[in-house]
Amino acid sequence: MYRYDEFDAAFVRERTAQFSDQVNRRLAGEINEDQFRPLRLMNGLYLQLHAYMLRIAVPYGTLASRQLRMLAHIARKYDRGYGHFTTRQNIQFNWPKLRDIPEILADLASVEMHAIQTSGNCIRNITTDQFAGAAADEIVDPRPVAEILRQWSSLHPEFSYLPRKFKIAMSGGPHDRAAIRFHDIGLQAKVDDRGIVGWEVWVGGGLGRTPMIAKRINEYVPNEHLLAYLESILRVYNRYGRRDNKYKARIKILVHETGIDKIRDEVAEEFRAIANGVLTLPQAEVDRIGAYFAAPEFERVNATVDVAKERIAEPAYGEWLDRNLHPHRQPGYASVTISLKPIGGAPGDATAEQMEAVADLAERYSFDELRVTHEQNLVLPHVRVSDLREVYDALVEARLATGNAGLITDMITCPGMDFCALATARSIPIAQEISRKFSAPERQKEIGDLKIKISGCINACGHHHVGHIGILGLEKKGVENYQITIGGNATEDASVGDTLGHGFAAEEVPDAIERLIDTYIARRETPDEPFIAAFKRLGEAPFKEALYGNG
Amino acid sequence: MEILTGNELMSGATVYLDRDGNWVEDLQRARVFLKEETEVRDAAIAATKKTLRINSLEIEAVTLRDGLILPDRIRERIRADGPTAPRFDRQHLDRDGHVSI
Ligand code: SF4
Repeated sequence: MYRYDEFDAAFVRERTAQFSDQVNRRLAGEINEDQFRPLRLMNGLYLQLHAYMLRIAVPYGTLASRQLRMLAHIARKYDRGYGHFTTRQNIQFNWPKLRDIPEILADLASVEMHAIQTSGNCIRNITTDQFAGAAADEIVDPRPVAEILRQWSSLHPEFSYLPRKFKIAMSGGPHDRAAIRFHDIGLQAKVDDRGIVGWEVWVGGGLGRTPMIAKRINEYVPNEHLLAYLESILRVYNRYGRRDNKYKARIKILVHETGIDKIRDEVAEEFRAIANGVLTLPQAEVDRIGAYFAAPEFERVNATVDVAKERIAEPAYGEWLDRNLHPHRQPGYASVTISLKPIGGAPGDATAEQMEAVADLAERYSFDELRVTHEQNLVLPHVRVSDLREVYDALVEARLATGNAGLITDMITCPGMDFCALATARSIPIAQEISRKFSAPERQKEIGDLKIKISGCINACGHHHVGHIGILGLEKKGVENYQITIGGNATEDASVGDTLGHGFAAEEVPDAIERLIDTYIARRETPDEPFIAAFKRLGEAPFKEALYGNG
Repeated sequence: MEILTGNELMSGATVYLDRDGNWVEDLQRARVFLKEETEVRDAAIAATKKTLRINSLEIEAVTLRDGLILPDRIRERIRADGPTAPRFDRQHLDRDGHVSI
């Protein structure tokens, strides 16, 4: 894992001291809230419905066990004993007090963490595939380049006041597990004719009020020119992005209104002017940063696990093996998804004790490494197959052994109106009811791969547009009302879901979902045809009828 | 009918202006402003702003039902009681969190 150099350490220390002083001035009444708000937001501190919320960056979703232990400590000492993992691979604390924030930031700095770039119109925390550095299908570990991009983008003087926030996601392989086509910039690893790894660059994707699938702006940019090329995109956006209208300020609108060809030309011109300059990335630097992410010393083992046999012996363990493992590039190892979606729980929440249990497991079984997924789960990236049983038993003990990764109860859910000041409806209770309704393992298995994603307002932090089934909470005449969309997909087969008709009252949502599921099961060609494939084949009609009848 | 609500600076806790000019946790102690009391209401807002201690100051529409104050918006009902799922107690004021106008 990357370790701070002197510059990083000094920078985070100074920022903590600076914000501590700003908090003191605010508490002493020397500055008012209008002056303080932008300062606190630059340090990840929001004011929500009930209290402050501190959003802490987890760069490219990678954590070491000492960092997760510190998050547990913060949860216990300054908050209410839990934290909430988000779709940006970050963690949020919902109950901190203003006077404790400087101490929290100092505690974070002691483990090389901070809350910078988790708010504001800057380049936000860069997200990656949660199996980066471990996945069998990976071309390259994207994290060294993600770290270089973090260093380039942190407090970038030219890009600290962009027209709007700016999000970059990276995937190191052909299978997009980071939703890169729904980010301002998406980077997908690609190999050129000479076998050299570079990046396919996508631009102008996004969710929110106006969902857009990104367009490919460049088929291949080598590492050497990546910083200059991204800087060129940012410059074009900074110059032409609309600052007159908040709802039209994201780069997706610029790309949409200007056209990708014109944007590509503008970027190319900018690139010509700055290419081969100071932003050229020497291979030696990529190698230097890459060394921090060197693969651990894997043992040469060839153990496998017979899932069918284990399932007969103990169904819950068998199910967990079946759902929560991901193929590892090293034979004899697997990546383990730790579901933060217990039946009826709040998606993405983990208690301090659970964080500590996971930190212990990472230390003992996963070379001290952990990942946060954009689907609000945790990952032990490198676990020996022969250790799986012990890991599972420890997860059972920590109440973290739900074997539902990628199933209907593994929903992305934003905090919604239970916490969020921008919400128009609650999200968590909807997820809980759906989770309870489909809690039976046999039922979940029968349904198979299905992604339900829930947002509590049009800002779409819960990615509802790209849920196979998406749920968007709105307010209609003072009552919560939920729009259901179908057919969204966040992978390389990107699509935005469609609304098929009117919304539903909260208590009607689980039944409506069940009608969609029953229709899918009745109409699928084989039990292996996933929901999204069946939807593509069948079209909207049967699902519309399931929701609204055939009138 | 309206009430004034906001979040106290130190704790971020949801608070309401009561009849005595104190910012308190209990929605049921909130001062209810009638339609014809906009001047008093606006004076209270101005005085509150001067304290620098109440953030996200808002005017909220309410209804009186069986003598109880019921905010019109769901959001406000959730703010008054704390999150519904998972159920958490609302944030409380610290000892030095008292604000009055
Ligand atoms: S989608 Fe809306 S309600 Fe949900 S977290 Fe984002 S802003 Fe808040």
